[in-house]
Amino acid sequence: MSERTLSGVGATPLSGVGSVVWYRPGEALELDDPPEPDAVDPAAERERFEAARDAARDELETERERARERVGDEEAAVFDAHLQFLDDPQIETAVGDELDGGLPAEHAVREGFSGPISQFESMEGRMAERADDLRDIRDRLLRLLVGGERADLSALPSGSVVFAERLTPSDTAQLDPEVVSGFVTATGGRTSHAAIFARSLVLPAVVGVGDDLFAVEEGTEVVVDGDTGDVILDPSEETRAAAAESDRADVRHEPVATSDGKPIEVAANVGQPAELEGAVEQGADGVGLYRTEFLFLERESPPDEEEQYDAYVEALDAFPDGRVVVRTLDVGGDKPIPYLDLPEEENPFLGERGIRRSLGVDADLFETQLRALLRAAADGAGDLAVMVPMVATVEEFESARGALDSVAADLDGEGVDYESPEFGLMIETPSAAFMADEFAARAEFLSIGTNDLTQYVMAASRGNERISELHDPRHPAVLRAIARTVEGADGTDAWVGMCGEMAGDPDLTRLLVGLGLDELSLSAVTIPDVKANVAETERESASALAERTLHASTKREVGRLITETTENTEP
Amino acid sequence: MERTVTIVPEAGLHARPASKFVQAANEHDAEVTVEKVGDDSGPVNAGSMLAVTSLGAAHGDEVRLVAEGDDAEAALDALEEVLSTPESEDSEE
Repeated sequence: MSERTLSGVGATPLSGVGSVVWYRPGEALELDDPPEPDAVDPAAERERFEAARDAARDELETERERARERVGDEEAAVFDAHLQFLDDPQIETAVGDELDGGLPAEHAVREGFSGPISQFESMEGRMAERADDLRDIRDRLLRLLVGGERADLSALPSGSVVFAERLTPSDTAQLDPEVVSGFVTATGGRTSHAAIFARSLVLPAVVGVGDDLFAVEEGTEVVVDGDTGDVILDPSEETRAAAAESDRADVRHEPVATSDGKPIEVAANVGQPAELEGAVEQGADGVGLYRTEFLFLERESPPDEEEQYDAYVEALDAFPDGRVVVRTLDVGGDKPIPYLDLPEEENPFLGERGIRRSLGVDADLFETQLRALLRAAADGAGDLAVMVPMVATVEEFESARGALDSVAADLDGEGVDYESPEFGLMIETPSAAFMADEFAARAEFLSIGTNDLTQYVMAASRGNERISELHDPRHPAVLRAIARTVEGADGTDAWVGMCGEMAGDPDLTRLLVGLGLDELSLSAVTIPDVKANVAETERESASALAERTLHASTKREVGRLITETTENTEP
Repeated sequence: MERTVTIVPEAGLHARPASKFVQAANEHDAEVTVEKVGDDSGPVNAGSMLAVTSLGAAHGDEVRLVAEGDDAEAALDALEEVLSTPESEDSEE
């Protein structure tokens, strides 16, 4: 068979070779044999079916909105089709007949869908893909009906390339980079969760391939080129060999310094424990942003102190000679968490989120998290630093410091081992950047979160593709906010880091060093490139570049300055 | 009331065009059926995504729409419009 290529969006500068394993959550659900018809109450089963269908509709609508926000209306239309299938009169009749015949709801769904599925399977080409849509809907219903776990992604054969309509954060958490050669999803863009996790996990990945993905059969040999966004099916020997050989920058496991000797810490952004290993392998000096949301999302009750303690110790043990900067819980009206009862907000990103909740309605949760962190600091191998998100005022930071001190006093009184970590904050609001000197006088460190900082400085939503032109950290306004933050820390002991996507762009390393940052934290996959660039950077010329960009009036001008300097300094 | 229309979208009566078609059918009170001309499988419910996509009607195929009800004409107009509008910047193959 000759090569065929599907195109999507490359998520990582990595290539992988393997064979397709389809991940269809719910497909693996095994149902017991149905009970005798007289043991079943058809009315109750019909109610269960209706409830599952309502829940499936909610899920699909949520996913559609998310897709619309992230990748636009075209992609979201796929969900419209699924929603229509879900409420299709023909399905309604087929499942209804089975329910009337005395089958429990999950069996009725399986049987009711089997006719239409095989009807589509027997058709040609694109029509056969609709069978996959129906399977997806059926599996969603089955999962909701039996409350089942999603299919197990942690036990795949070596060399698997996972194909899926989409992967949730909890799905990607199960992927073992040692075993999985990459993944490809039908939905998603470069900034989707799946893409960000691919970079953290150091996995070749292509996202947003679209509906064409569903026609690819299980077991097909495939090359995933996360750089170009190509997914090559049935690759020739040549293609395969080229992919297997694609060069990677040399991994440096030592800390790096500029060519004139200023040490720059290059750390990894980590969103879940599965990413720690990749970070170590790529030569991260430590973790510059350990997001703790994974502990809190997609569950029915908050994690207790022990569970959190274990997770934090695990992170600290991964970097015995390094530092792990843990960010306290950063949620707000935009991320649904059932037990937190988050308010619907008109402007969730400007609402009750991050430290605002931790000092308010979630104070108990915050205290538990701080207890777990202080205890882990004493027992884990590496050095702990703790930072709080979304700080806008000095009072907020002082209150957070107060909470930390009070937890320390409690542990002291209880005779529990603990250690006080470095304590700092994220600079992601314009107010925090303006007040950086005040914060630097009160904190051990400042870490600039460029994704949110850009969003707030430019007043441009991160998720809206139509204004993505505005949402660019290379804009001089954002650079000035960064410079202002660094200046604010001048003459204090506070170090200044950066933990947004901007830090992971190798083209910007020189500029960031020139702006005076002490630490860069980024997706594991670009650490080798960024370390190499740091080593090649000379501070004086980097500062001169930074100075020029700060006087630029447009981001285009900034871009030109960066390109010119790169070209002039290349041998 | 009936009308015969040639399918314009490249993808045929497939996911996205079919989705718009079904939506349009369900927005009207009239009962509408659709049948592929020259195919003996007979008319199907235009409000059923499943039924409509299972017709396997492709670009260039002719379909016969039959509508009954108060807004039958409006329904036919709306459906004809869906079938006669090429998909803009079609991201499918």
